[in-house]
Amino acid sequence: MCGDRYMLEVRDVTKHFGGLCAVNEVSFSVKEGAVVGLIGPNGAGKTTLLNLICGIYKPDAGTIRFAEKDITGMPSNRICRLGVSRTYQIPQPFYAMTTLTGVAVSVIHGKKRPHMSLSDAILEASYYLEFVGLFSKRDTLARELTIYELRMLELARALATTPKLLLLDEVMAGLNPAESSKALEMIWNAQEQFDITILWIEHIMKIIMNAAQQIVVLHYGQKIAEGTPQEIANDAKVIEAYLGGQYAQSGRP
Amino acid sequence: MVRLEFRRDRILLRWGEQKYEWVIEPRYWRNPAIGVFLLAIIPLFILPYPNILTMLTSANLYAAIAIPLGLQMIGTARVNFGPQLYLGLGGYTSALLNLHLGWSPIPTLGATILVCAAVALLLSPTTFIAKGLYFSLITLILPLTFLDVTFLYGDIFRGEVGLVGMSPLFNFGKVKWNYLGYFYFSLLLMLLYLFVSDKISRSRFGVTLAAINENEDVARMMGVDVTKYKVFYYVFPSILTGIVAWFIVHTFRTFAGITYLPLDFMIKILIIVIIGGRAFVYGAVPGAYLIAVVEDSLRGLGPINYFVFPLVLIGAILILPRGEGLWGLYHKRHHRDYFPTLHVRR
Repeated sequence: MCGDRYMLEVRDVTKHFGGLCAVNEVSFSVKEGAVVGLIGPNGAGKTTLLNLICGIYKPDAGTIRFAEKDITGMPSNRICRLGVSRTYQIPQPFYAMTTLTGVAVSVIHGKKRPHMSLSDAILEASYYLEFVGLFSKRDTLARELTIYELRMLELARALATTPKLLLLDEVMAGLNPAESSKALEMIWNAQEQFDITILWIEHIMKIIMNAAQQIVVLHYGQKIAEGTPQEIANDAKVIEAYLGGQYAQSGRP
Repeated sequence: MVRLEFRRDRILLRWGEQKYEWVIEPRYWRNPAIGVFLLAIIPLFILPYPNILTMLTSANLYAAIAIPLGLQMIGTARVNFGPQLYLGLGGYTSALLNLHLGWSPIPTLGATILVCAAVALLLSPTTFIAKGLYFSLITLILPLTFLDVTFLYGDIFRGEVGLVGMSPLFNFGKVKWNYLGYFYFSLLLMLLYLFVSDKISRSRFGVTLAAINENEDVARMMGVDVTKYKVFYYVFPSILTGIVAWFIVHTFRTFAGITYLPLDFMIKILIIVIIGGRAFVYGAVPGAYLIAVVEDSLRGLGPINYFVFPLVLIGAILILPRGEGLWGLYHKRHHRDYFPTLHVRR
């Protein structure tokens, strides 16, 4: 499933906020078609790293390459048009807009489409809404949706920009087990149908360990481990970061 | 090369890769058409009362200033005190060029557009540099500074008296007909602005505008070049406001900064936008007419007017439904229409 080409290469990326080093010389790569998990305790710098990749923050040092193109410090809108899209930890829909028009914005601007009319964009947006199962809510304002529906709307919006790399930020947060499994299925379908690479921040270990082929672990802004889910589950540094030193010494996860 | 397609609800015009469409389904155009018709026939009933005709002309001009302001507030995603600076710039540009260089109204229109566009372009970085309240404060301070300049250089701007005697856009010979002409021209200007704003709000640009107003960071992450849009939606409404000033100069033939630049005029326009329909395109029209009527009716009360006027407005804001202003009374919620939320700070 994974290609040989690197879709994303992060090299020695560092970001400070005042005296706080949020991300410290982090390096890792994501191969084309792969699902890579980014995990770590709260405050590890995962979302900051995601924000650096998608251009919300500029790194103080290091480089970020997407599909062999240097995107370090590039504005978000240009990065999006190159093929990077994201969802948010706390859903950020356009509350006063209908789900359909919200997704239409992604359709219009995700790629360079200067001649696309609004009705054409709406037609295409309805396809993405149908894909995530929200077509019946197309005329509903985003502020009236449930948390699951908001997550799905975010996914539809991200997919509508036709990304090559999808950055998922705790997409399962706040969902019950039934909703989580539906959402997981939706992500698999999206990856299969749209041929996308996924970098996924997740706190629910059961899900990310099953979903990802490779895991990167951050702690206090530094990368402490990288490997397959099996390797990560047995890594002493990871166990220490999550559970404390005594568990790491005893070898009990 | 140009192809016309007639469909049940719309007419499509295709030209190369471009496509334009006009919705002709009656349920979409019936109500605006009735509104325009009513506004057009009003003068026939009030022709013997020039003071009422002047009040309605003022209402049209208030609306013509408020419509671009609504567009600007949504496009820049921040509340501002209005593009009154451009009202002053446009007015003085056309008046001075007309008085001192003898330019006729058409060249002064071109000059007004150029001056407003140049200054707006120069100041447009404030829309993305100045965060939160700072942008609103800048829009408040600039007209007041310009007002001071008009007093400081009284020999040029004629301070409190203002400039008088500019050449008229038209002259029908009779005062009554001139008043009628002013009304219809101001109505035409307002409807033109309404038409342009409506076209924008119903197009892909309108949807983008709404996205920027909702959350500019998320919009940027979805590929929207927010900076480009903000510059455009700062400059374009500024030009439209400048044109209103040009119209005032060449119809009323008098222009004084003290009338259009002080805080009370700014607040009046801001209230029109909010009471009309929270920057909803059509809201500016009922808002402007209400303010003009209330203002004119209370004028007879004398100085107490300054206390009663704000009280009436506060009362109106309190009784209007869901904070959607006067337009909310009429507007049957149709979710496809974006009803804006105004942001004071981000």
